[in-house]
Amino acid sequence: MKKLLALVLALVMALSLVACSSSTATQPAANDSKEPTKMTIALRAGAYGDAIKSCLPAFEEANNVKIEAMELSEDDLHSAIALDATNATGSYDFVMADASWMAEFANAGVLADLGSLGYSFDDDIIPATTAACVFDGKTYLAPYGGNVTVLMYNKALVEAAGYKPEDIKNLDDMLKICKASQAAGKKGFIYRGDTNNNLTVDFLSILASFGGWVVDENQKATVNTPEFKEAVEFYLELIATGDAEKKDDLIASVENGAGTMGIGWPGWYKAEFTGCDYTAITGVAHEGDKAYNANVYGIWLIGVPANAPDKDLSVKLLQYLMDKDVQKATIEGGGVPCRYSCLQDAEVLKAHPQFEVVCKALEGGVYRPIMKEWPQMYEIIGSELGNIINGIKTVDAGLADAQAALDDLLK
Amino acid sequence: MKKKNPDRFVSNSLQAKRFGYGMITPTLIVMAIMTAYPLIFTFYYSFTDYNLLQVLKNPAQFIGFGNYIKLLSTSYFRNAIWNTVRFSLLCVVFEMLFGFIMAEFVHRLAKGQKIMRTLLLIPYLLPTVTVALIWRMMLSPNYGIVNQVLSALHLPVYNWFYDIKTAFWMLLVIDIWQSSPFVFLLLYAALQAVPADQYEAARLDGANYFQTLFYVTIPNIKNSLALCALLRTIDSFRLFDKVNLLTGGGPANSTATITQYLYNTGIKVYEFGYASAGAIVMTLIVLVLASIYIKRAMS
Repeated sequence: MKKLLALVLALVMALSLVACSSSTATQPAANDSKEPTKMTIALRAGAYGDAIKSCLPAFEEANNVKIEAMELSEDDLHSAIALDATNATGSYDFVMADASWMAEFANAGVLADLGSLGYSFDDDIIPATTAACVFDGKTYLAPYGGNVTVLMYNKALVEAAGYKPEDIKNLDDMLKICKASQAAGKKGFIYRGDTNNNLTVDFLSILASFGGWVVDENQKATVNTPEFKEAVEFYLELIATGDAEKKDDLIASVENGAGTMGIGWPGWYKAEFTGCDYTAITGVAHEGDKAYNANVYGIWLIGVPANAPDKDLSVKLLQYLMDKDVQKATIEGGGVPCRYSCLQDAEVLKAHPQFEVVCKALEGGVYRPIMKEWPQMYEIIGSELGNIINGIKTVDAGLADAQAALDDLLK
Repeated sequence: MKKKNPDRFVSNSLQAKRFGYGMITPTLIVMAIMTAYPLIFTFYYSFTDYNLLQVLKNPAQFIGFGNYIKLLSTSYFRNAIWNTVRFSLLCVVFEMLFGFIMAEFVHRLAKGQKIMRTLLLIPYLLPTVTVALIWRMMLSPNYGIVNQVLSALHLPVYNWFYDIKTAFWMLLVIDIWQSSPFVFLLLYAALQAVPADQYEAARLDGANYFQTLFYVTIPNIKNSLALCALLRTIDSFRLFDKVNLLTGGGPANSTATITQYLYNTGIKVYEFGYASAGAIVMTLIVLVLASIYIKRAMS
């Protein structure tokens, strides 16, 4: 009886193994001329990925391909691309990537050189947006989603403080408006306090307006500097007028008038919004000060993994998505192209007047440090900013500790 | 009288042994692949500078105790250990307390035990993501019902997840709310197994509620109590999803747990060697805590 049972179990195991192996062996060949070629693309979930998805049916039909779009959160997308890079042949034909990942991906050879595959930038693309796409003279990515920090504000509260949006000429004006709102029982400045990344990124525009930055031209940390300290002290005063919220709460606050303003992104803005609007950050701290580039890029880039199964087809998709007419068509669905022909088009501007601000911000934006250590850097800066904001450390102590940790990281 | 053949006896015994080994072999293979292999490699990687992206070009180097030294000398990691230990201990204490109270309550109900049991289990049946989102909505500073009620009562309102005074405690409350039913379920089952005649004897001897509780109930369910405490300690030590969804470890790292720290500084940036060292440290701490419970339960 026991022998029989053991025999049956062995047979079941053997059958399972055969079943598993045969399922892959009987798959139809991908390049069957009648069957559409399957492509898998990894996109950032939300408005950024939606813009790409809206263009895919036409490409699928014209090229006899079937595209499966994986929509992932920022962290998951980052991990998915990196993990897939370890395979000889990748799962993804095409990916979206954040500019801040460029250095680590390019260093590790994760992305294909688009130049060698026949792609080059055209003159219509806003030149500053391509800076993060090139590494060591090679083009690895193309700018797709024109994301850049802007000042999101509640129209009624700004007006109630005696300002027009175009009158917000420097950070002091922002502070005055927020203080007026706070005095009227509303929240002033809302910032994202949910992760060290968001905490850092929301602060960068303020820091840049004071002429400070997190690293110098030699990529050495510049956190414990007078500019940084001045920016932090100003930021503490500014955020004291409001509070920390998650992205969705921040948008809701500014839209419904519970909060006055916050650092936002054009992709957050919805056509149905009535209470809020956005404007470019001027990069001026105080009246009469120098204007710095202070709109921080969060541009979503597109590229082809170095291990993509069919790179020619992938580049064809990239070229199609970078076409100005295709990009223009995505605007209605929430797309924000990095192209003059789209952002300065009279018809587009009539329907989307905010694009004038976006165009200006994209022309004068600043990239987060394109360094492979950036994820560790924002953890350190965000942690110490959090300590300072919550009164655990003084500004001097927090900045000194951040500087020491960054020096240690970058040595 | 029929004489037994000793060779046949030995052969049967050998067959039984072989059959036994045959039966446990699939389990051993699965365990070796799913548990032993990852554990051994985690231990091995913890002594290397393994970075997922860098190994595409250069192989990982052996760096001895470098990752452990770096970890333990980092104030953020020490802070994460403290938060995790504090969180686990408080969770276990309160979840055991509330779970036991619920189990006692339902056990003593003359009617409606089934419906109460089901209702009390609901929080535990919900996925953690759902739980986190429900609480996030309820505690939202904008439209959350909690702040609205507090405002209506002219009580102070808080930015629950971003105020350093409240964030940690809110995570604790949510975990207790979700996991107490697990303790309830195990203790309720244990209470059902306590012999009724012991309660009867205690009643005849004139024992009050607390005497019955301490001299009859608890001694009878002490193994279940130890098991619950052990399982809850291990589980709460691994706290990640709620922190990641609700606070991201903030404000000012006041809710950063070991897993959250390792995710941010190890996994997210592909420093798997560093993250492995953290995972080994975490496993050792859990083992130490677990051994206390196991030792007590065994004694």
